Amino acid sequence: MLMDSKRIEELLARYWECETSLEEEQQLHQYFQQKDIPEQWKETAALFKYFQQQKKKSITDVSFDDQVLASVPKAKGKTISFFYNTMRIAAGVAVLMVAIWFIRKEVRSTNPPETVDTYEDPKLAFEETKKALMMISKSFGKAEEQAKKINLFNEAQDEIRKKEKSTKM
Amino acid sequence: MNLEAFQNRVMPSKNKLYRFALRFLGNEDEAKDVVQEVLIRVWKGREQMNEIQNWEAWCMRITKNLSLDRIRSLSRKTTQPLEEAYEVRQHEPTPYETTELQESMQSIGNLIAALPEKQRQVIHLRDVEGYSYNEICEILELDMNQVKVNLFRARNAVREKLMKINAYGL
Repeated sequence: MLMDSKRIEELLARYWECETSLEEEQQLHQYFQQKDIPEQWKETAALFKYFQQQKKKSITDVSFDDQVLASVPKAKGKTISFFYNTMRIAAGVAVLMVAIWFIRKEVRSTNPPETVDTYEDPKLAFEETKKALMMISKSFGKAEEQAKKINLFNEAQDEIRKKEKSTKM
Repeated sequence: MNLEAFQNRVMPSKNKLYRFALRFLGNEDEAKDVVQEVLIRVWKGREQMNEIQNWEAWCMRITKNLSLDRIRSLSRKTTQPLEEAYEVRQHEPTPYETTELQESMQSIGNLIAALPEKQRQVIHLRDVEGYSYNEICEILELDMNQVKVNLFRARNAVREKLMKINAYGL
């Protein structure tokens, strides 16, 4: 960025009066980093070069950051709290899983395991179903016979009641 | 603020703090010690950081206070950093610089080191670090007028002496 000397002269005059803004001072810094500076501004250029040079000074020790971080009290550092939280969640999950396992065990022992369908041949399956239905109907038949006996009692009871009623009247 | 934020936000300003401390103390090792102490203090007071608007200025202010404490405790004279600052520059010569330029850098360093303390601080903060006047007020705990007066005096003292060096080849 080349600026005409009039502009620089004007900026410099204001610089010595402390009336320049930071941006204007930045322009001066840039201008005086160049190699070909007119003789009249030789000292000024040296001053601005000095400011730039000073800004390059830095802590060169590689171990400096580590030293600071080592002396910083790692009050429950991030990794520790992360580990702690993970363990809490893991413990919760473990308790839940054990509980589910016990409940399953309990449910299985009370309910007998379901019969497993092993028939692949439809004909065989039909026969088996028929057999099962026959068994049920047989049982129903038996039950009906027994129920008829109970009915007999009922009829007898009714008859006794009727007789009682007629004697009372 | 957690450790990560501290590393990413505060630690990068260590060089600014170092240069400022060096301006007071003129000794690299002591300046580093001060910066280390500042950073540890900032970490300890990190709860306050949320309320502080410009925490870099705050760090710079702590640097200033700790540097001044150290100067007092070592009962240093203000002129002592002069020779040491001279040594500091000799440690890091940049190869492309001519000896003539290096010499003028050294004499400017000596001129600034010889300035009164406040002028030295203000010219450093403004012309080396590029802080705004408001920030300088905050860092040095001075009002705007004092900052401007000190900067004016510092710049013009350096200018005058530079002219003399040039004229008489001091």
